[in-house]
Amino acid sequence: MDITDELIAKTVDRFAPHGGRGTVTNILAFSRVLKELGVKIGLSQVIDSNRSLHYVNVGSRGDFRAALRSNLLTDKEQIPIFDRAFDLFWRARQDAEPNAPSDIPLPPDDADIEDGSEAESNDQVLAEFAGAETGRDGETEPIALPTYSPGESLSKKDFSDLGIEESRAISRAILLIATKIATQMSRRKKRANNGQQIDARWTMRKSLKYGGEVVELVKRKRRIKKTRVVLLCDVSGSMDCYSRFLIQFMYGLQNELWGVETFVFSTSLSRITHLIRTKEIAGALERISHSVVGWSGGTNIGRSLATFNRDFAPSLVTHRTVVVIISDGWDRGDVSLLEHEMQSIKRRCYKILWLNPLLASENYEPLCKGMQAALPYLDLFLSVNNLNSLVALGRTLQRMVA
Amino acid sequence: MISTLTAADSGEGDDVKNSDNLSIEKIQEALKKEKYIADRALATVVYLSIAMGKPLLLEGEAGVGKTEVAKVLAEIMGSRLIRLQCYEGLDANTALYEWNYPKQMLRIKLEEVTAGDRTAVETEIFSPEYLVKRPLLEAIQSEGSVAPVLLIDEIDRADMEFEAFLLEVLSDFQITIPELGTIRARVRPYVVLTSNRTREIHDALKRRCLYHWIDYPSFEKEHEIVAAKFPAMRGRLADQICAFMQQVRQMNFYKRPGVAETLDWASALLALNRDELDEETVKETVGCVFKYREDLNHVEEQLAAKKIDLDGTAKAGAQPA
Repeated sequence: MDITDELIAKTVDRFAPHGGRGTVTNILAFSRVLKELGVKIGLSQVIDSNRSLHYVNVGSRGDFRAALRSNLLTDKEQIPIFDRAFDLFWRARQDAEPNAPSDIPLPPDDADIEDGSEAESNDQVLAEFAGAETGRDGETEPIALPTYSPGESLSKKDFSDLGIEESRAISRAILLIATKIATQMSRRKKRANNGQQIDARWTMRKSLKYGGEVVELVKRKRRIKKTRVVLLCDVSGSMDCYSRFLIQFMYGLQNELWGVETFVFSTSLSRITHLIRTKEIAGALERISHSVVGWSGGTNIGRSLATFNRDFAPSLVTHRTVVVIISDGWDRGDVSLLEHEMQSIKRRCYKILWLNPLLASENYEPLCKGMQAALPYLDLFLSVNNLNSLVALGRTLQRMVA
Repeated sequence: MISTLTAADSGEGDDVKNSDNLSIEKIQEALKKEKYIADRALATVVYLSIAMGKPLLLEGEAGVGKTEVAKVLAEIMGSRLIRLQCYEGLDANTALYEWNYPKQMLRIKLEEVTAGDRTAVETEIFSPEYLVKRPLLEAIQSEGSVAPVLLIDEIDRADMEFEAFLLEVLSDFQITIPELGTIRARVRPYVVLTSNRTREIHDALKRRCLYHWIDYPSFEKEHEIVAAKFPAMRGRLADQICAFMQQVRQMNFYKRPGVAETLDWASALLALNRDELDEETVKETVGCVFKYREDLNHVEEQLAAKKIDLDGTAKAGAQPA
């Protein structure tokens, strides 16, 4: 869900009455508004915001805004929400307080700051607020609140007109995924300056050069295994609307990770690793479309996997390889063949991930035969259709690898 | 005029060094004096960071001047800049302290020859003399009355574990060395963290900081920056450079150029004695701006197709989204 102006206005209206009694209550009410709009804010940030107002002239709207913003926000993506909510909220405050000299609430009295009674009353207000908040959580939770994230609007967008910012957001999410896939701690150790353990053998060895005196301590730490990734992408007709996104995904993964092999399949399989090994996506697109047969055609997952297993898997897939299949699972081929091929990949590789763009829709169940056949062999079955699902994928991989 | 702050008593006459006398305007002026053009929001945040003693977290694309803020801050506060460059695998030993093993070892050997007192040697080899100070300890143990500026650069490159460790150091500004005891900061360092957003930084750390996003500068601001750094620049060159940069930042390049690239390019053009941009000049020097072969090809195509206006008139609406 996208954050609309009406939604912000409605939220502001809901919380504006909670404010009005002073700066602290106003800031609390404002932070409630932001929270409702999906910005995570801790109580300490609210307290700090209040503290920061002692240092700036709250009569200056720009400074007031900068002070609140730097304290309350923790992410660039929240800035547009903040700015819109800020404008609405502090205008609303002015309407509610016709006596206020400006549209900015009055700063707390200096006397209060000096003797600490302000802190006390603040604590009271904050305690009330915290109490009210836990009480309120119960009632607000069942309502599906819109959460803001940079990817929300992407889910509705045609992937063919991705803007720079959005494709950058996707690249970032992919980078996160890539690093998660790529790191696997080994049991074996290697010598390292920043290691934790002492490498006794090499310490002795080095001491020879000082006549048997131990002068340098050699240390070691656990090796990081480089995981290889094989990406198998379904580019058949049923996946058409995701193809832009898929290419971005393939391209991103390939360019961020060492040792990625990329294949696309519909009725047959093609290796496109060399085609997308470039930093420029537009040219890659063109090259792929020239050389791939059966783009947007029918699907025969079983036969494509069989080709993969016969021609490529022996050299590419080892116990360190993560195989990622992106497909909706609609298969017109032989289901038993598909099952057999899945089994043989499973035996060979470290993990199999299946990313299904359809999984995101609420009513979807993996009923189609192809998907059913593949399910038992999967280590992970996830949705991938927009930026949010990519971020979620990154988190899941983090848990899986850790 | 000198108030109660000890920093001011040490003979530092400059107003800026006394945070009681600081104001947003003064910060902005001081930044400008150091040739750092900051908008008011950034100046406000820098000021708040000093006044509240809260670390400053700066995010932004590469080359927009995040690190520079810390350098300039050290300059205007008249204090030392201690820099901790983060990288994958950075650990407490490299960031905090380490015992000087070889020196300890030699000392023990020496003692073996002279057959000295064992316990005395033991206490001695774990004394500060045998300690290798790393940036964090150095910042905390800093001598003098003026707090140092601690720059923790590219925090997103360090591991999660290091972030958690940093959280601990930044909340208490004290470090415990088992053999020596707890070392507390005499003056709280001013802390600046920067991040390129290659990964998400943990909320707990972000919440303890003042957050500021540094965007690509507008045409006017970039122009001001170029003018401040290169007062010798003649003619329309500054206009043209900035207009060019504004345009290419709207296009889809693998690496969008930052202010650092603008300044590189400007200094290259100055060195070549150019005072106007034409297609030929751009082709010769555009390597200062783009560092990837694909991007270089792309920019040449765009130039050939006349998609980039070199006149320096296309200032309007050139703000990145």
